[in-house]
Amino acid sequence: MSDRRSLMLSAAGMLLALTTTVAAQDYPTKPVRLIIPFPPGGSNDVVGRLIATQLSERLGKQVVVDNRGGAGGTIGTEIASGTTPDGYTLLVISIAHAVGPALYPIKYDPIKSFTPVSILATGPNVLAVNPKVPVNSVKELVELAKKKPGELFYASAGVGSFQHLSGELFKLMAGVNVVHVPFKGGGPSMIDVIAGNSQYVLSSLIQTTPHIKSGKLKALGTSGTKRSPVLPDVPTIAEGGVHGYEATNWWGIVAPAGTPPAIVAKLHKELAAVQDSPEIQKQFATQGASTVKMSSEEFAKFIGQELAKWGRVVKDANIRP
Amino acid sequence: MDLFDNLLFGFGVAFSLQNLIYCFIGVLLGTLIGVLPGIGPLATIAMLLPLTFNVGPVAALIMLAGIYYGAQYGGSTTAILVNLPGETSAVVTCIDGHQMARQGRAGPALAIAAIGSFFAGTVGTLLIALFGPPLAEMALKFASPEYFSLMLMGLVAAAVLAQGDMVKSLAMVVLGLLLGIVGSDVNTGIPRFSFGMAELTDGIGFIVIAVGVFAVGEIVTNLGEPTERRFLTAKIATLFPTREDLRRSLWPILRGTGIGAFFGVLPGTGPAIASFSSYMVEKKLAADPSRFGRGAIEGVAGPESANNADAQCKFIPMLTLGLPASGVMALMLGALTIQGIQPGPQVMTQKPDLFWGLVASMWIGNLMLVVLNLPLIGVWVRLLKVPYRLLFPAIMAFSAIGIYSVNNSPFEIYLTAAFGILGFLWIKLGFSPAPLLLGFVLGPMMEENLRRAMLTSHGNAAVFVTRPLSLAFIVATVLILLVMIAPAVRRRRDAITD
Repeated sequence: MSDRRSLMLSAAGMLLALTTTVAAQDYPTKPVRLIIPFPPGGSNDVVGRLIATQLSERLGKQVVVDNRGGAGGTIGTEIASGTTPDGYTLLVISIAHAVGPALYPIKYDPIKSFTPVSILATGPNVLAVNPKVPVNSVKELVELAKKKPGELFYASAGVGSFQHLSGELFKLMAGVNVVHVPFKGGGPSMIDVIAGNSQYVLSSLIQTTPHIKSGKLKALGTSGTKRSPVLPDVPTIAEGGVHGYEATNWWGIVAPAGTPPAIVAKLHKELAAVQDSPEIQKQFATQGASTVKMSSEEFAKFIGQELAKWGRVVKDANIRP
Repeated sequence: MDLFDNLLFGFGVAFSLQNLIYCFIGVLLGTLIGVLPGIGPLATIAMLLPLTFNVGPVAALIMLAGIYYGAQYGGSTTAILVNLPGETSAVVTCIDGHQMARQGRAGPALAIAAIGSFFAGTVGTLLIALFGPPLAEMALKFASPEYFSLMLMGLVAAAVLAQGDMVKSLAMVVLGLLLGIVGSDVNTGIPRFSFGMAELTDGIGFIVIAVGVFAVGEIVTNLGEPTERRFLTAKIATLFPTREDLRRSLWPILRGTGIGAFFGVLPGTGPAIASFSSYMVEKKLAADPSRFGRGAIEGVAGPESANNADAQCKFIPMLTLGLPASGVMALMLGALTIQGIQPGPQVMTQKPDLFWGLVASMWIGNLMLVVLNLPLIGVWVRLLKVPYRLLFPAIMAFSAIGIYSVNNSPFEIYLTAAFGILGFLWIKLGFSPAPLLLGFVLGPMMEENLRRAMLTSHGNAAVFVTRPLSLAFIVATVLILLVMIAPAVRRRRDAITD
């Protein structure tokens, strides 16, 4: 009896040892949960759902989207940090992941709690002014702001939003004093600039381009290091006179810390294939974003750099006193 | 006869078999999610968006729009039948609609809600077709000072929501304002009254409070009553409104439509404000305001029309200027962009099939909803004959599912339960929850606009009276106050002279 039990135990032990190595080859054997730490509708949700659909096809198992919004993405991120690192829980992160720790009380470590899998895409903002503002370039806007310190306004989607942070970085680097007017969401902030109450906004290409084309807003510069293919005639803000300026949103996938390297490698490979699909390329292009490839290690380093950069902006701009 | 030609062209587009089918799927789905609290059109449209990539832009938008206004219809059904507001805007319908159901008049309440909504939808559609662009331009004149003054007027007018004790009502309004303060400060991002809980940094959800105090509070109260006195009587007098009902509803529907259209065009007003305003107007104008809160059909007809007109007119800034007036509209813009269409004023000229097709489909969709809902009234009303011991766990379960689905957050279910207990206590102590919800809706928006106005005027409070539109609302507020105080003053003077 006891022999039989020990035999069974050792067999179970062997099976367990086997499963960890086999797991990676067989992975996935059940649906994978993809946590999006934002409610449905925003850019994180759009990106996450696009990827989930395509990844499901490649993995042969359903990738189930689980929206866990709230507190600038930190609630969903915290949930993901506490899950079993077996590759069956993944998390969509974006620039908010690099900003959240400086703004919210968090119970996870933005680096140590996660295993980076893959970056997906990056997308710049565009600095757009109301056409009645008498400036035609970033340089002229900076000059105007210097002439009228504290008299110009820029609208943003809210405190701690990417629009806000890229705006504060702009103020810091250009050395200007412009009053920040926060709204609740990117729609209202853009309406405010079109109505002429605020002078400019730094908002995503997908939201802003139609209004630039219809002449309700004037584009002065894009926030990436290179010009955007969506607006090839618009210089970058760095070209326009604020040297070294860069504020680019990005989206990527991470897993909880301790996820087996073999599974991470498999996911990285499949995500790379998803990135190459024409459907995804087209969808990102309409969002004004483009796919980017990095190894998992490079992505880890990138997250660290972004955390340092935006943490400094939050501090220097005195966003959280 | 440009308009006629355009509309005819639009109907031609909308009447294609494919578009009719998508319209029907949209309104049906909308009705279903409208019935369920919590899960709203925003989440549904976000989830269905990827499915629309492969159908054409016209069909995609027709379906998504159908979901949106279908939800406005569905939301009132559960509000009337079981005091469960399926959508934010249906909260007001709970007040008198559910009382009508308790009196065995669920049928007329449901019918008048559908008729009012249909009328408002028709007017809304016409407004888009006739005056879309100028209305949208006008709405851009509203900046933070105007929004603040407008909402101040609304809050002062809230006093008429009072049932019985004025002091208790004011206390509830103030409590609503305080609850609205919970969450991140709009200008600094600092969490207020969040007690270190991440779940509270975005504030308390409206639907959490609404379902808690209305649905759960009501259930607990009912269970406290002796079995035979629980409301679900078999005496269902009529299924359809009487001539008297229709006569009473006519003006409220017209006024509600006007009020809803006004708020609908303004991008900075959330849901529920239109229906609250309509309710307050109807109560103020009524010959016998004491009927309100006890099953007055005007209290259903007005707000239901207002909320549908509001929903319909939210399309105006989106379609004519490419500006989103709400989260749902932002998603629709996203859907258009994904389809390769640049939203904006040029849509009307460059994509007439889309614009006029959508406008025509809205009217068809509204018609479908009436056709769908009127025969269903009999079915719904029969639901009330289900024994309460079966009905109340079902309501609780649906509420819980709905609340959970908003953020997939168990915390919000606990919070709903807590508000259920509070709701029960308030009912027992004679505090009506409607003023609380109005304070909760208006408070955060007033604060946001007040702070923004002060920020952009560099702290100069004169901005509220130097801008003409804002001044007009301030003057109206003062007038409302005078009208309300006058009778009290007169009574006191009479008392002195006596």
